[in-house]
Amino acid sequence: MASRASRIPSKRERIPFYRNVKVIGTLLQLLFLAVVLIGIFIVYSNISSALQRSNLPASFRFLGDRAGIPIGESAIRYSTSDTYLRALIVGVLNTLRVALLGIVLASLLGVTVGVMRLSKNWLVSRIAGGYVELLRNTPLAVQLVFWFSAVLVPIPPRITNPIELPGGIMFSQVGLALPWLQPSYNFNRWLPWLLGAMAVFVVFYFFQRRRLEHMDRPGRAWRTPLLLFLLIAGGGYVVASLNSSVPEGTVIDFDPDRGRGDVFIDRDGDGRLGRDETPLVGAEVMVRIDEGIIQTNTSNFIESRQMVYSTFRFPALREHEFTSARLEFANPEDAERFDIHVLTFPTVGVIYEDRNGNGEYDPGEEFVAGDGPVAGFGGVPIVLRVEGFERRVITNRDGRFRLPIFESPAVLEAVAEEAEEQQPAGGGGGLGSLFGPPGGAEDEVSELAAAAELLPSGPLVVSVPSVPRSDYTGGVTLSAPYLALLLGLVIYTASFIAEVVRGGILAVPKGQREAAKAVGLSDSQTFRLIVFPQALRIILPPMISQFLNLTKNSSLAILVTFQDFFAISNIVANQTGATIPVILIVIGGYLIISLTFAFILNIVNDKLALVER
Amino acid sequence: MLAARKPPVRDGGVISWLRENLFSSVGNTLTTFVVGAVLLYLGVGLLRWIFIEATWGPLWRNLRLLAVYRYPAPLVWRPLSVVAIFIALLGLSAGIARGRGGTIIAGVYWQFAAVVFLITIIALATNWPMRWAWFGVSVAALAGYGLGALVPRLERILLWLWLASLPATIVLIYGLPFAHPTSAMRVVPVREWGGILLTFVLTTGIIPAFPLGIALALGRRSKLPAIKAFCIGVIELVRGAPLITWLFIASLLVPLVFNVEATRIPALLRAYVAIALFATAYMAENVRGGLQSVPRGQYEAAQALGLSSWQMTRLIILPQALRAVIPAIVGQSIGLFKDTSLVFILGLLDLFNVHNVVAQQPESIMVTGGVRLELSLFLCLFYFCFAYRLSVASRQLERHLGVGTR
Repeated sequence: MASRASRIPSKRERIPFYRNVKVIGTLLQLLFLAVVLIGIFIVYSNISSALQRSNLPASFRFLGDRAGIPIGESAIRYSTSDTYLRALIVGVLNTLRVALLGIVLASLLGVTVGVMRLSKNWLVSRIAGGYVELLRNTPLAVQLVFWFSAVLVPIPPRITNPIELPGGIMFSQVGLALPWLQPSYNFNRWLPWLLGAMAVFVVFYFFQRRRLEHMDRPGRAWRTPLLLFLLIAGGGYVVASLNSSVPEGTVIDFDPDRGRGDVFIDRDGDGRLGRDETPLVGAEVMVRIDEGIIQTNTSNFIESRQMVYSTFRFPALREHEFTSARLEFANPEDAERFDIHVLTFPTVGVIYEDRNGNGEYDPGEEFVAGDGPVAGFGGVPIVLRVEGFERRVITNRDGRFRLPIFESPAVLEAVAEEAEEQQPAGGGGGLGSLFGPPGGAEDEVSELAAAAELLPSGPLVVSVPSVPRSDYTGGVTLSAPYLALLLGLVIYTASFIAEVVRGGILAVPKGQREAAKAVGLSDSQTFRLIVFPQALRIILPPMISQFLNLTKNSSLAILVTFQDFFAISNIVANQTGATIPVILIVIGGYLIISLTFAFILNIVNDKLALVER
Repeated sequence: MLAARKPPVRDGGVISWLRENLFSSVGNTLTTFVVGAVLLYLGVGLLRWIFIEATWGPLWRNLRLLAVYRYPAPLVWRPLSVVAIFIALLGLSAGIARGRGGTIIAGVYWQFAAVVFLITIIALATNWPMRWAWFGVSVAALAGYGLGALVPRLERILLWLWLASLPATIVLIYGLPFAHPTSAMRVVPVREWGGILLTFVLTTGIIPAFPLGIALALGRRSKLPAIKAFCIGVIELVRGAPLITWLFIASLLVPLVFNVEATRIPALLRAYVAIALFATAYMAENVRGGLQSVPRGQYEAAQALGLSSWQMTRLIILPQALRAVIPAIVGQSIGLFKDTSLVFILGLLDLFNVHNVVAQQPESIMVTGGVRLELSLFLCLFYFCFAYRLSVASRQLERHLGVGTR
C-alpha cells in the first residue's frame, strides 16, 4: 500500500508536457487550425485563379445593374428595367408570401388531421393515418409537380371560361382570383385614425393587463381595448369617408378601343399620364359603353383534359353588366349552315350543324374544324353585340384599369359594305372580311359611344376580379404556380405537423383526462380546456421546426415556375456569372431565415417552460 | 347472494367491434356514413380512372427509361444483378434472423421479395426482354432466404458479405476500368446512368455521411473550443440552407474549388458531394442525439476502468449511442431517398426527372390531357413502397430497441 501511495506525484514533481492534457489539447487545436487554414487557403487560391481565368465578376457591384428578368408576380412594383437587387428583393417577398400563408394553413390542416388521427371513429382515424403515411413517404418534388402539372394546369378551365363562384371568386388555369379590400387614394385620410386606434389598443391592453395582474384576477385583457380600437377605427372610417374627395385636376384618360384607361392628376394638362404625374391608385371608375361588339373565332382545343370542338369564348361578362346581348355569325353564309348553342350566356358557346334536324344541339354535332372552307382560317367568326355595358372597375397600382376590347358596331357595317362593293368586281370579299377591316375603311369607322365616370370612393374600396382579356384584373390573384406551391407545401407539411400534434396530445398524462372527466367536463371541454393547452407545450417547439422546414422547402418553387428567392438567385447566377456573390447571398438569405426561426423557437421555449417551484 | 348475470355483450366479435369503433353514438354513426360515402365515391372514381380513363401506354413503353434511363440495353443485367445480390443478402439476413425470432428484417424482406416476384410474373407474362434475368432475381431472393434459414452459422460472415457487396455493386454498375470497350464488363460512363438506378446511387450518399457525421458529432462534443466551433459552424451552416441550394452551390462551386473546367467534373459527382455533405450534417445531429442519450455513469465507469478517451469512445460510448440512433438514421435515409429528386436542378436524370422527360415526349403530349396523372401515380407508388416499408421497420426497431423507454 505504501508503495502505491508513493506513486501519486508530489507537488514538486511535474507532469511531462507531452502528457499534459492542456498542452496536448492546445497543440491539437493549433494543428487542426493549421490544417483548416491551409485548406481554406488552397480553396481560396483555386477559386480566385479560376475566377480570373474565366473572367467572372467576384464583387457585389452587379447588384446595381439592370436585371431584365421577367418576373410573373410580385408583391411590389417591378419591371424588367429594375436592378438585380430589386429582383432579389421581389424573390424574398415571394418566398415570404408563400411561407407565411403556408405556415398558417399547414398548422390548421395539421392540427385537424392530428386530432382526427386520435378520433374514436375508426374510419376517421384510419383516413388521417393514411393521409399522413402517404404524404410523408413521397417526395415533395413529386407532389408539387403533381399539383401543378397534373392538377392545376390541365384540370381547371381556361382563363376565358373561368369557374365563377359566389362572391365574385374566379378560378381557372391561370389561378384563383378573389375580391379584395384595397386601399384607395383616400386611404391617407383614414390612416391617422387607424394608427391612433392601434396606439390606444396597445396602451390600453398593457394597462388592463397590469391592472388584472395587480388585482390577481384572471380575465381577458384584450376585450375592452379591442372594443375601443373598433370604435375609433370605425368612427374614423366614417369621418374619412365623409371627408373623401377626388383630388384637384384628376383626369380619366379612357381609351375604349384598347380597352384601358388611366386615372391620374393631370399636372401638365395634356390629358396623358406623364412620367412625373401621380396615378390615382384604387380609384373607382364606372365605365359605360352604350353599344359595342366583340369579334372572335371558334376554335378546337383541349380543356380540362378533354377535346372541345368549335367553341367560342368572349371575355366573361356578368349578367348585371349589360342591358342586352346578342350572338350572331359574322358571315351570313355561316348562319345558314350552323347554329349556336350557348353554354354560358352570352360569352361561351359551341357552333353545331343540326344533322339530325331536331333543332337542338346534340353531342357530336359540333363543327369539327378541318372539314369545310372556313377551317383553314381558325374557325367560324362570331360577333357578340352588347348594349348598355356598365362595369365598376378599380385602378391598379399604376392607376390603370382594363376592360374587354369593344369595337363599334359600325365596323361590321363598314366591312359588309366593303364586301358588297367588291363582290361583283373580284369575288374575294369573303376572304377579305376574315382578315379584318381593310385599310380604307379605318377612317369611316366611328368611335365607340363610351364614357367613364369617377365614383367617390372611401378609404377602402372593394375590388372584384374580372377577365378583360386573357388574365385577371382587380381583386387579388393567387396564380396557379403560387397555388400549386402553397397547396403542395401545406399538404406535405401538414402530414408532419399532424404527427407532432398526435404525439403531443398522447403525451398529456392520462390522469389529466380522467381528472377532467371526474370534475364533470364534457369531451369537448376536456379537450379544449385541459388536454390541448398542455399538449401545446409539447407541440409548439417541433411545430416551429416544421415551419422552418416549410420555409426552406419553398425553394422547390422552381419546379412549379414560381419565382421565389432561390429561383431568382438561380437566374441571376446564370445571367451574370457572379457565382460567388450569388452563393453568398443564397446561403446568407437562408441562414437569416433559419436563425430567425431559431430565435422565435428560443422565445417560445422560454415562455412555455414550466414554472417550477 | 347476487343473481347470476349474463356476460357483457361487448366482448369480441365483429359486431361489437363495429359498434365500438364506428357506431358508438349518433354523431359517430353519422360521421361513419358521411365519411364512408365520400371515401366510397373517391375510391370508385380512382378505380374508374385507373382502369378506364387513364392512358398507361406511354408509361408502359418507357419503363426501361424510368428504370435505368440510357444505361446500355445489353448491359442492363448488371444493375439487375445488383438487385439480385441485395435481395439475396436481405433474404440471407432474414433467414438467419428467423432462427432467433427476428421479424423486422423478415417483414422488409418479404415485401421486397413480393415486389420482385410480382415484377417477374409481369415480365414473364408480357415477354419482357429481361424476363429471365428477373426470374433469376426471384430465384436469388428465395435462395438467399433458404440458405440463411438452413445454415444459421453464416451469421458470422454476414457483415462481411454486406461489406463485400459494396465494391461488387460499384464494379457491376460502373464496370472494370481496364475492360475491353466491347466486353460485358466495360465501363458505363456516369452520364448514361439514370432513372431508378440513379436514385439509388444518389441515396448511397448516406454511406460516406456515416463516418463523417460521427466525426462531426464527436467534434461538436469536444472540449477543445477550436474543434467544437468548427464542427458547430459546419453543421449549422449546412443545415441552415435547403438541399436544393447546396446542389446548386455544388454545381457552381466544385469546379471552382478544384480549379478545373466545369465540364470535367460530371454532374453526378457534384450532386454526390452536395448530398453527402448535407447528409453528414444531419447525421451528425442524429449521432449527437445518441451521444446525449448515453448516461453520464457510462463515461465515469469507463474512466474509472482506466480507459483512454479514444478507447472509451470506441468501446463504450459509440456502440450504445449508435444503437440508439438506428431508427433515426433509417428515417434520415428515407428522407434522403426522397430528396434525391432534387438533383433535377443539375440536369441529372434520376427517376423524378426522367418522369418529366417522359411526360414531355411527343407521344405523351398527344394523349388528350397528357399523362402526368399516370406518371405521378407511378412515382408515388414507387417512392411510397420503399419509404413506407422502411419507416414501418424503423418504428418497429425503435420499439424493439426500447429507445426512450429505458
